Amino acid sequence: MEFRSEIASNQRKSIFLLFSLFLLLIGIIYLVGLYLGVSSYTILPFALLFSIITTISSYWSSDKLVLMITKARVITEDEGGPLYNIVSEMAIAAGIPMPKVAIVEDSAPNAFATGRDPDHAIIAFTTGILAKMDREQLQGVAAHEMSHIKNRDTLVATVAAVTAGAIALIADLISRVFLYTGGTKNSKGNPFAMVALVIVIFLAPIGAILLRSSISRKREALADSSAVAITRNPTGLRRALETLRDDSTVVQAKSNAVAHLWVESPIDKRNSRWHPFDTHPPIQDRIDKLQAME
Amino acid sequence: MIIITVLGVAFLLLSIGVVLFNQLRKANIRVDEAFAQIDVQLKRRADLIPNLIETVKGYAAHEKTTLEQVTEARTSTMKATTFDEKMSSDNMLTGALRGLLAVSENYPDLKASANFLQLQEELSTTENKIAFSRQYYNDAVLLLNTKIKTIPSSFFAGVAGVKERVFYVTDDASRTRPDVKF
Repeated sequence: MEFRSEIASNQRKSIFLLFSLFLLLIGIIYLVGLYLGVSSYTILPFALLFSIITTISSYWSSDKLVLMITKARVITEDEGGPLYNIVSEMAIAAGIPMPKVAIVEDSAPNAFATGRDPDHAIIAFTTGILAKMDREQLQGVAAHEMSHIKNRDTLVATVAAVTAGAIALIADLISRVFLYTGGTKNSKGNPFAMVALVIVIFLAPIGAILLRSSISRKREALADSSAVAITRNPTGLRRALETLRDDSTVVQAKSNAVAHLWVESPIDKRNSRWHPFDTHPPIQDRIDKLQAME
Repeated sequence: MIIITVLGVAFLLLSIGVVLFNQLRKANIRVDEAFAQIDVQLKRRADLIPNLIETVKGYAAHEKTTLEQVTEARTSTMKATTFDEKMSSDNMLTGALRGLLAVSENYPDLKASANFLQLQEELSTTENKIAFSRQYYNDAVLLLNTKIKTIPSSFFAGVAGVKERVFYVTDDASRTRPDVKF
Protein backbone atom coordinates (compact mmCIF):
# COMPACT_ATOMS: atom_id res chain seq x y z
CA MET A 1 0.00 0.00 0.00
CA GLU A 2 1.23 3.47 -0.78
CA PHE A 3 1.88 5.70 2.21
CA ARG A 4 -0.71 8.38 1.43
CA SER A 5 -3.58 5.88 1.34
CA GLU A 6 -2.22 4.26 4.54
CA ILE A 7 -2.29 7.64 6.24
CA ALA A 8 -5.86 8.37 5.12
CA SER A 9 -7.04 4.91 6.19
CA ASN A 10 -5.46 5.18 9.66
CA GLN A 11 -6.92 8.67 10.18
CA ARG A 12 -10.41 7.43 9.27
CA LYS A 13 -10.15 4.39 11.51
CA SER A 14 -8.93 6.32 14.55
CA ILE A 15 -11.66 8.95 14.15
CA PHE A 16 -14.23 6.15 13.88
CA LEU A 17 -12.87 4.55 17.07
CA LEU A 18 -12.88 7.84 19.00
CA PHE A 19 -16.44 8.40 17.87
CA SER A 20 -17.35 4.89 19.08
CA LEU A 21 -15.89 5.76 22.47
CA PHE A 22 -18.10 8.86 22.67
CA LEU A 23 -21.09 6.76 21.65
CA LEU A 24 -20.26 4.32 24.43
CA LEU A 25 -20.28 7.20 26.90
CA ILE A 26 -23.62 8.48 25.60
CA GLY A 27 -24.98 4.93 25.63
CA ILE A 28 -23.97 4.43 29.24
CA ILE A 29 -25.65 7.69 30.25
CA TYR A 30 -28.80 6.59 28.50
CA LEU A 31 -28.81 3.20 30.24
CA VAL A 32 -28.20 4.85 33.61
CA GLY A 33 -31.15 7.10 32.85
CA LEU A 34 -33.29 4.05 32.15
CA TYR A 35 -32.25 2.42 35.40
CA LEU A 36 -32.35 5.39 37.73
CA GLY A 37 -34.75 7.72 35.98
CA VAL A 38 -34.18 10.54 33.56
CA SER A 39 -32.96 13.03 36.18
CA SER A 40 -29.70 11.06 36.39
CA TYR A 41 -28.65 12.56 33.02
CA THR A 42 -27.17 15.37 35.06
CA ILE A 43 -24.42 12.92 35.95
CA LEU A 44 -22.80 13.42 32.55
CA PRO A 45 -21.35 16.94 32.90
CA PHE A 46 -20.02 16.17 36.38
CA ALA A 47 -18.42 12.89 35.32
CA LEU A 48 -16.79 14.57 32.35
CA LEU A 49 -15.65 17.54 34.41
CA PHE A 50 -14.08 15.34 37.07
CA SER A 51 -12.41 13.21 34.41
CA ILE A 52 -11.06 16.31 32.65
CA ILE A 53 -9.71 17.83 35.86
CA THR A 54 -7.81 14.70 36.78
CA THR A 55 -6.35 14.37 33.28
CA ILE A 56 -5.73 17.98 32.22
CA SER A 57 -2.63 18.67 34.30
CA SER A 58 -0.76 15.65 32.98
CA TYR A 59 -1.77 16.61 29.42
CA TRP A 60 -0.76 20.25 29.86
CA SER A 61 2.66 19.51 31.32
CA SER A 62 3.28 16.22 29.58
CA ASP A 63 6.67 17.34 28.29
CA LYS A 64 7.96 18.33 31.75
CA LEU A 65 6.32 15.36 33.50
CA VAL A 66 7.85 12.83 31.18
CA LEU A 67 11.27 14.43 31.54
CA MET A 68 10.98 13.90 35.29
CA ILE A 69 9.68 10.33 35.11
CA THR A 70 12.36 9.16 32.69
CA LYS A 71 15.15 11.41 34.04
CA ALA A 72 15.93 12.53 30.49
CA ARG A 73 18.69 15.07 29.76
CA VAL A 74 17.90 17.82 27.26
CA ILE A 75 20.44 18.55 24.49
CA THR A 76 20.89 22.28 23.82
CA GLU A 77 21.23 23.84 20.38
CA ASP A 78 24.81 24.84 21.19
CA GLU A 79 25.71 21.23 21.99
CA GLY A 80 24.30 20.13 18.66
CA GLY A 81 25.74 16.90 17.34
CA PRO A 82 24.45 14.30 14.84
CA LEU A 83 21.31 13.46 16.88
CA TYR A 84 20.27 17.10 17.12
CA ASN A 85 20.92 17.46 13.38
CA ILE A 86 18.79 14.41 12.54
CA VAL A 87 15.87 15.76 14.57
CA SER A 88 16.15 19.25 13.03
CA GLU A 89 16.18 17.71 9.54
CA MET A 90 12.97 15.87 10.37
CA ALA A 91 11.37 19.01 11.84
CA ILE A 92 12.01 20.81 8.54
CA ALA A 93 10.61 17.95 6.48
CA ALA A 94 7.52 17.72 8.71
CA GLY A 95 7.02 21.49 8.77
CA ILE A 96 6.74 21.79 12.56
CA PRO A 97 8.85 23.81 15.04
CA MET A 98 11.99 22.15 16.41
CA PRO A 99 11.06 20.12 19.52
CA LYS A 100 13.32 19.68 22.57
CA VAL A 101 15.72 16.77 22.13
CA ALA A 102 16.66 14.63 25.14
CA ILE A 103 18.63 11.50 25.99
CA VAL A 104 17.52 8.86 28.53
CA GLU A 105 20.13 6.70 30.23
CA ASP A 106 18.88 3.20 29.44
CA SER A 107 20.59 0.35 27.60
CA ALA A 108 17.32 -0.80 26.04
CA PRO A 109 16.82 0.75 22.59
CA ASN A 110 13.69 2.91 22.44
CA ALA A 111 12.47 6.45 21.82
CA PHE A 112 9.41 8.54 22.63
CA ALA A 113 7.73 11.86 21.89
CA THR A 114 5.21 13.89 23.86
CA GLY A 115 3.91 17.41 24.37
CA ARG A 116 0.57 19.19 24.42
CA ASP A 117 1.12 20.71 20.96
CA PRO A 118 3.94 21.06 18.40
CA ASP A 119 5.19 24.21 20.17
CA HIS A 120 5.74 22.40 23.48
CA ALA A 121 7.04 19.07 22.29
CA ILE A 122 9.94 16.84 23.26
CA ILE A 123 11.56 13.83 21.63
CA ALA A 124 13.83 11.52 23.63
CA PHE A 125 16.15 8.65 22.69
CA THR A 126 17.71 6.09 25.02
CA THR A 127 21.48 5.68 25.09
CA GLY A 128 20.70 2.11 24.02
CA ILE A 129 19.09 3.11 20.73
CA LEU A 130 21.89 5.57 19.94
CA ALA A 131 24.41 2.76 20.38
CA LYS A 132 22.55 0.20 18.28
CA MET A 133 21.33 2.17 15.26
CA ASP A 134 22.91 3.99 12.33
CA ARG A 135 21.89 7.36 10.89
CA GLU A 136 19.31 5.96 8.46
CA GLN A 137 17.54 3.99 11.21
CA LEU A 138 17.63 6.90 13.68
CA GLN A 139 16.20 9.15 10.98
CA GLY A 140 13.29 6.71 10.58
CA VAL A 141 12.69 6.61 14.34
CA ALA A 142 12.92 10.41 14.60
CA ALA A 143 10.40 10.71 11.75
CA HIS A 144 8.01 8.31 13.55
CA GLU A 145 8.26 10.36 16.75
CA MET A 146 7.93 13.64 14.84
CA SER A 147 4.70 12.26 13.35
CA HIS A 148 3.24 11.68 16.82
CA ILE A 149 3.81 15.38 17.50
CA LYS A 150 2.51 16.53 14.14
CA ASN A 151 -0.60 14.33 14.38
CA ARG A 152 -1.24 15.56 17.94
CA ASP A 153 -1.37 12.07 19.34
CA THR A 154 -0.96 13.32 22.92
CA LEU A 155 -4.23 15.22 22.49
CA VAL A 156 -5.97 12.22 20.92
CA ALA A 157 -4.81 9.94 23.73
CA THR A 158 -5.96 12.47 26.34
CA VAL A 159 -9.42 12.85 24.78
CA ALA A 160 -9.72 9.05 24.75
CA ALA A 161 -8.51 8.87 28.36
CA VAL A 162 -10.99 11.55 29.51
CA THR A 163 -13.90 9.77 27.81
CA ALA A 164 -12.90 6.36 29.14
CA GLY A 165 -12.41 7.92 32.57
CA ALA A 166 -15.92 9.34 32.53
CA ILE A 167 -17.30 5.93 31.50
CA ALA A 168 -15.43 4.21 34.32
CA LEU A 169 -16.66 6.81 36.80
CA ILE A 170 -20.29 6.39 35.83
CA ALA A 171 -20.08 2.60 35.87
CA ASP A 172 -18.51 2.82 39.29
CA LEU A 173 -21.30 5.08 40.58
CA ILE A 174 -23.97 2.74 39.24
CA SER A 175 -22.34 -0.29 40.81
CA ARG A 176 -22.38 1.48 44.16
CA VAL A 177 -26.04 2.40 43.78
CA PHE A 178 -26.81 -1.18 42.84
CA LEU A 179 -24.97 -2.57 45.86
CA TYR A 180 -26.46 -0.15 48.39
CA THR A 181 -30.03 -0.48 47.18
CA GLY A 182 -29.79 -4.24 46.70
CA GLY A 183 -30.87 -3.88 43.11
CA THR A 184 -34.45 -2.98 43.99
CA LYS A 185 -34.14 0.74 43.23
CA ASN A 186 -36.13 0.67 40.03
CA SER A 187 -38.95 -1.82 40.21
CA LYS A 188 -40.87 -0.69 37.15
CA GLY A 189 -40.27 -2.61 33.97
CA ASN A 190 -38.96 -6.08 33.29
CA PRO A 191 -36.57 -7.19 36.08
CA PHE A 192 -34.49 -9.27 33.64
CA ALA A 193 -34.03 -6.24 31.40
CA MET A 194 -32.89 -4.28 34.45
CA VAL A 195 -30.32 -6.94 35.29
CA ALA A 196 -29.10 -6.99 31.70
CA LEU A 197 -28.82 -3.19 31.83
CA VAL A 198 -26.71 -3.35 34.92
CA ILE A 199 -24.41 -6.03 33.47
CA VAL A 200 -23.84 -3.86 30.40
CA ILE A 201 -23.03 -0.90 32.62
CA PHE A 202 -20.44 -3.01 34.44
CA LEU A 203 -18.92 -4.16 31.14
CA ALA A 204 -18.67 -0.66 29.69
CA PRO A 205 -15.31 0.19 31.26
CA ILE A 206 -13.76 -2.91 29.67
CA GLY A 207 -15.18 -1.84 26.33
CA ALA A 208 -13.65 1.57 26.91
CA ILE A 209 -10.21 0.10 27.54
CA LEU A 210 -10.46 -2.05 24.41
CA LEU A 211 -11.42 1.02 22.37
CA ARG A 212 -8.56 3.03 23.86
CA SER A 213 -6.06 0.29 23.01
CA SER A 214 -7.46 0.10 19.51
CA ILE A 215 -7.12 3.87 19.08
CA SER A 216 -3.53 3.69 20.32
CA ARG A 217 -2.69 0.97 17.78
CA LYS A 218 -4.19 2.96 14.91
CA ARG A 219 -2.25 6.09 15.89
CA GLU A 220 0.95 4.04 15.98
CA ALA A 221 0.24 2.71 12.48
CA LEU A 222 -0.49 6.30 11.42
CA ALA A 223 2.84 7.42 12.87
CA ASP A 224 4.62 4.73 10.84
CA SER A 225 3.02 5.79 7.55
CA SER A 226 3.42 9.51 8.35
CA ALA A 227 7.10 8.84 8.99
CA VAL A 228 7.41 7.54 5.44
CA ALA A 229 5.68 10.71 4.19
CA ILE A 230 8.35 12.74 5.99
CA THR A 231 11.46 10.80 4.94
CA ARG A 232 10.20 9.27 1.66
CA ASN A 233 12.36 6.34 2.78
CA PRO A 234 10.54 3.38 4.36
CA THR A 235 13.84 1.45 4.65
CA GLY A 236 15.17 3.47 7.60
CA LEU A 237 12.21 2.85 9.89
CA ARG A 238 11.83 -0.72 8.70
CA ARG A 239 15.45 -1.55 9.55
CA ALA A 240 15.04 0.22 12.89
CA LEU A 241 11.98 -1.91 13.75
CA GLU A 242 13.88 -5.04 12.74
CA THR A 243 16.68 -4.17 15.16
CA LEU A 244 14.08 -3.53 17.88
CA ARG A 245 12.33 -6.80 17.14
CA ASP A 246 15.55 -8.76 17.50
CA ASP A 247 16.54 -7.03 20.72
CA SER A 248 15.00 -8.41 23.89
CA THR A 249 15.92 -5.75 26.46
CA VAL A 250 13.12 -3.56 27.83
CA VAL A 251 13.24 0.03 29.10
CA GLN A 252 13.10 0.69 32.84
CA ALA A 253 10.44 3.41 32.81
CA LYS A 254 7.63 1.20 31.60
CA SER A 255 4.72 2.15 33.86
CA ASN A 256 1.31 2.14 32.20
CA ALA A 257 1.26 5.90 32.25
CA VAL A 258 4.04 6.19 29.69
CA ALA A 259 3.99 2.79 27.98
CA HIS A 260 2.06 4.02 24.95
CA LEU A 261 4.57 6.76 24.20
CA TRP A 262 7.56 4.58 23.34
CA VAL A 263 8.18 3.59 19.71
CA GLU A 264 8.26 -0.07 20.77
CA SER A 265 5.91 -1.00 23.58
CA PRO A 266 7.67 -2.17 26.74
CA ILE A 267 4.54 -3.87 28.09
CA ASP A 268 2.87 -5.63 25.15
CA LYS A 269 3.37 -9.39 25.38
CA ARG A 270 5.66 -10.39 22.55
CA ASN A 271 4.65 -13.75 21.22
CA SER A 272 0.98 -14.05 22.05
CA ARG A 273 -1.67 -14.07 19.31
CA TRP A 274 -4.19 -12.19 21.46
CA HIS A 275 -3.65 -8.48 20.97
CA PRO A 276 -6.73 -6.50 22.03
CA PHE A 277 -5.02 -4.69 24.92
CA ASP A 278 -1.77 -3.94 23.11
CA THR A 279 -0.85 -0.29 22.65
CA HIS A 280 1.14 -0.97 19.48
CA PRO A 281 0.45 -3.16 16.44
CA PRO A 282 2.53 -6.37 16.36
CA ILE A 283 6.05 -5.42 15.34
CA GLN A 284 6.28 -7.91 12.47
CA ASP A 285 3.09 -6.47 10.96
CA ARG A 286 4.64 -3.00 11.11
CA ILE A 287 7.80 -4.29 9.40
CA ASP A 288 5.80 -6.04 6.68
CA LYS A 289 3.73 -2.91 5.98
CA LEU A 290 6.88 -0.81 5.58
CA GLN A 291 8.50 -3.46 3.41
CA ALA A 292 5.49 -3.34 1.10
CA MET A 293 6.13 0.38 0.58
CA GLU A 294 9.75 -0.06 -0.46
CA MET B 1 -40.68 30.28 8.29
CA ILE B 2 -39.41 30.36 4.70
CA ILE B 3 -37.38 33.47 5.44
CA ILE B 4 -35.68 31.77 8.37
CA THR B 5 -34.78 28.74 6.26
CA VAL B 6 -33.40 30.92 3.48
CA LEU B 7 -31.37 32.97 5.94
CA GLY B 8 -30.12 29.79 7.59
CA VAL B 9 -29.00 28.29 4.29
CA ALA B 10 -27.39 31.56 3.23
CA PHE B 11 -25.49 31.73 6.52
CA LEU B 12 -24.31 28.13 6.11
CA LEU B 13 -23.08 28.78 2.59
CA LEU B 14 -21.32 31.94 3.69
CA SER B 15 -19.57 30.09 6.52
CA ILE B 16 -18.41 27.36 4.18
CA GLY B 17 -17.16 30.03 1.80
CA VAL B 18 -15.19 31.76 4.52
CA VAL B 19 -13.61 28.49 5.63
CA LEU B 20 -12.56 27.55 2.10
CA PHE B 21 -11.29 31.07 1.37
CA ASN B 22 -9.12 30.98 4.49
CA GLN B 23 -7.86 27.50 3.71
CA LEU B 24 -6.68 28.69 0.29
CA ARG B 25 -4.99 31.76 1.76
CA LYS B 26 -3.30 29.69 4.49
CA ALA B 27 -2.10 27.13 1.96
CA ASN B 28 -0.63 29.96 -0.11
CA ILE B 29 1.18 31.47 2.88
CA ARG B 30 2.56 28.04 3.72
CA VAL B 31 4.09 27.85 0.26
CA ASP B 32 5.75 31.27 0.76
CA GLU B 33 7.05 30.19 4.18
CA ALA B 34 8.37 26.94 2.77
CA PHE B 35 10.22 28.78 0.02
CA ALA B 36 11.76 31.16 2.54
CA GLN B 37 12.90 28.14 4.56
CA ILE B 38 14.78 26.81 1.52
CA ASP B 39 16.59 30.14 1.32
CA VAL B 40 17.56 29.93 5.00
CA GLN B 41 19.20 26.54 4.45
CA LEU B 42 20.90 27.66 1.24
CA LYS B 43 22.38 30.63 3.07
CA ARG B 44 23.64 28.33 5.83
CA ARG B 45 25.41 26.25 3.23
CA ALA B 46 26.86 29.31 1.53
CA ASP B 47 28.23 30.48 4.90
CA LEU B 48 29.93 27.13 5.53
CA ILE B 49 31.78 27.15 2.22
CA PRO B 50 34.62 29.66 2.82
CA ASN B 51 35.65 27.66 5.89
CA LEU B 52 35.52 24.45 3.87
CA ILE B 53 37.64 25.91 1.09
CA GLU B 54 40.30 27.14 3.53
CA THR B 55 40.48 23.73 5.23
CA VAL B 56 40.81 21.85 1.94
CA LYS B 57 43.39 24.34 0.59
CA GLY B 58 45.55 23.59 3.61
CA TYR B 59 45.93 19.97 2.53
CA ALA B 60 45.14 19.89 -1.20
CA ALA B 61 46.44 23.11 -2.72
CA HIS B 62 46.85 21.58 -6.21
CA GLU B 63 43.12 20.99 -6.56
CA LYS B 64 42.79 24.58 -7.75
CA THR B 65 40.17 23.98 -10.46
CA THR B 66 37.81 22.08 -8.14
CA LEU B 67 38.14 24.78 -5.48
CA GLU B 68 37.55 27.52 -8.03
CA GLN B 69 34.41 25.79 -9.34
CA VAL B 70 32.99 25.80 -5.84
CA THR B 71 33.77 29.49 -5.30
CA GLU B 72 32.26 30.44 -8.68
CA ALA B 73 29.12 28.41 -8.03
CA ARG B 74 28.77 30.03 -4.62
CA THR B 75 29.07 33.54 -6.08
CA SER B 76 26.39 32.80 -8.67
CA THR B 77 23.96 31.64 -5.97
CA MET B 78 24.47 34.91 -4.13
CA LYS B 79 23.78 36.89 -7.32
CA ALA B 80 20.65 34.91 -8.30
CA THR B 81 17.36 36.79 -8.07
CA THR B 82 14.60 35.01 -10.01
CA PHE B 83 13.13 31.64 -8.99
CA ASP B 84 14.70 29.91 -12.02
CA GLU B 85 18.11 31.52 -11.41
CA LYS B 86 18.00 30.40 -7.79
CA MET B 87 17.06 26.84 -8.71
CA SER B 88 19.76 26.41 -11.35
CA SER B 89 22.59 28.13 -9.43
CA ASP B 90 21.71 26.08 -6.36
CA ASN B 91 21.88 22.86 -8.37
CA MET B 92 25.28 23.94 -9.76
CA LEU B 93 26.64 24.52 -6.25
CA THR B 94 25.38 21.11 -5.09
CA GLY B 95 27.28 19.53 -7.98
CA ALA B 96 30.46 21.51 -7.38
CA LEU B 97 30.46 20.64 -3.66
CA ARG B 98 29.99 16.99 -4.46
CA GLY B 99 33.02 17.21 -6.74
CA LEU B 100 35.10 18.80 -3.99
CA LEU B 101 34.15 16.21 -1.40
CA ALA B 102 34.90 13.40 -3.87
CA VAL B 103 38.35 14.86 -4.51
CA SER B 104 39.02 15.04 -0.75
CA GLU B 105 38.82 11.27 -0.66
CA ASN B 106 42.35 11.23 -2.11
CA TYR B 107 43.88 13.12 0.83
CA PRO B 108 43.95 10.93 3.98
CA ASP B 109 45.42 13.74 6.13
CA LEU B 110 42.55 16.01 5.18
CA LYS B 111 40.00 13.29 5.80
CA ALA B 112 41.35 12.67 9.30
CA SER B 113 41.48 16.29 10.47
CA ALA B 114 38.91 17.10 13.15
CA ASN B 115 38.08 20.39 11.48
CA PHE B 116 37.25 18.68 8.20
CA LEU B 117 35.18 15.98 9.90
CA GLN B 118 33.07 18.56 11.71
CA LEU B 119 32.65 20.56 8.50
CA GLN B 120 31.61 17.39 6.71
CA GLU B 121 28.90 16.68 9.27
CA GLU B 122 27.72 20.31 9.06
CA LEU B 123 27.68 20.22 5.26
CA SER B 124 25.99 16.84 5.20
CA THR B 125 23.22 17.92 7.55
CA THR B 126 22.81 21.21 5.65
CA GLU B 127 22.46 19.32 2.35
CA ASN B 128 19.83 17.12 4.00
CA LYS B 129 18.04 20.19 5.31
CA ILE B 130 18.08 21.76 1.85
CA ALA B 131 16.63 18.56 0.39
CA PHE B 132 13.95 18.30 3.07
CA SER B 133 13.01 21.97 2.85
CA ARG B 134 12.57 21.52 -0.90
CA GLN B 135 10.47 18.43 -0.21
CA TYR B 136 8.33 20.37 2.26
CA TYR B 137 7.99 23.20 -0.26
CA ASN B 138 6.79 20.73 -2.89
CA ASP B 139 4.35 19.21 -0.36
CA ALA B 140 2.98 22.71 0.33
CA VAL B 141 2.68 23.44 -3.40
CA LEU B 142 0.92 20.10 -3.97
CA LEU B 143 -1.60 20.91 -1.24
CA LEU B 144 -2.26 24.40 -2.62
CA ASN B 145 -2.56 23.30 -6.25
CA THR B 146 -4.88 20.47 -5.26
CA LYS B 147 -7.15 22.87 -3.38
CA ILE B 148 -7.16 25.30 -6.30
CA LYS B 149 -8.12 22.57 -8.77
CA THR B 150 -10.73 20.61 -6.79
CA ILE B 151 -14.33 21.44 -5.93
CA PRO B 152 -15.55 23.17 -3.80
CA SER B 153 -12.45 25.21 -2.94
CA SER B 154 -11.86 25.86 -6.66
CA PHE B 155 -14.85 28.22 -6.64
CA PHE B 156 -13.08 30.54 -4.25
CA ALA B 157 -9.60 30.51 -5.74
CA GLY B 158 -10.31 33.60 -7.84
CA VAL B 159 -11.84 35.51 -4.94
CA ALA B 160 -8.95 34.57 -2.67
CA GLY B 161 -6.47 35.70 -5.29
CA VAL B 162 -4.35 32.53 -5.16
CA LYS B 163 -2.73 30.99 -8.19
CA GLU B 164 -1.10 27.64 -8.79
CA ARG B 165 2.59 27.54 -7.88
CA VAL B 166 5.58 25.85 -9.46
CA PHE B 167 7.28 22.77 -8.03
CA TYR B 168 10.98 22.92 -7.14
CA VAL B 169 12.86 20.64 -9.52
CA THR B 170 16.38 19.31 -8.95
CA ASP B 171 18.50 17.90 -11.72
CA ASP B 172 20.69 15.63 -9.63
CA ALA B 173 20.33 11.85 -9.75
CA SER B 174 18.44 11.55 -6.47
CA ARG B 175 15.49 13.78 -7.30
CA THR B 176 11.97 12.51 -6.71
CA ARG B 177 8.98 13.69 -8.71
CA PRO B 178 5.99 14.40 -6.43
CA ASP B 179 3.43 11.86 -7.55
CA VAL B 180 0.10 13.58 -7.91
CA LYS B 181 -2.64 11.12 -6.94
CA PHE B 182 -6.12 12.58 -6.66
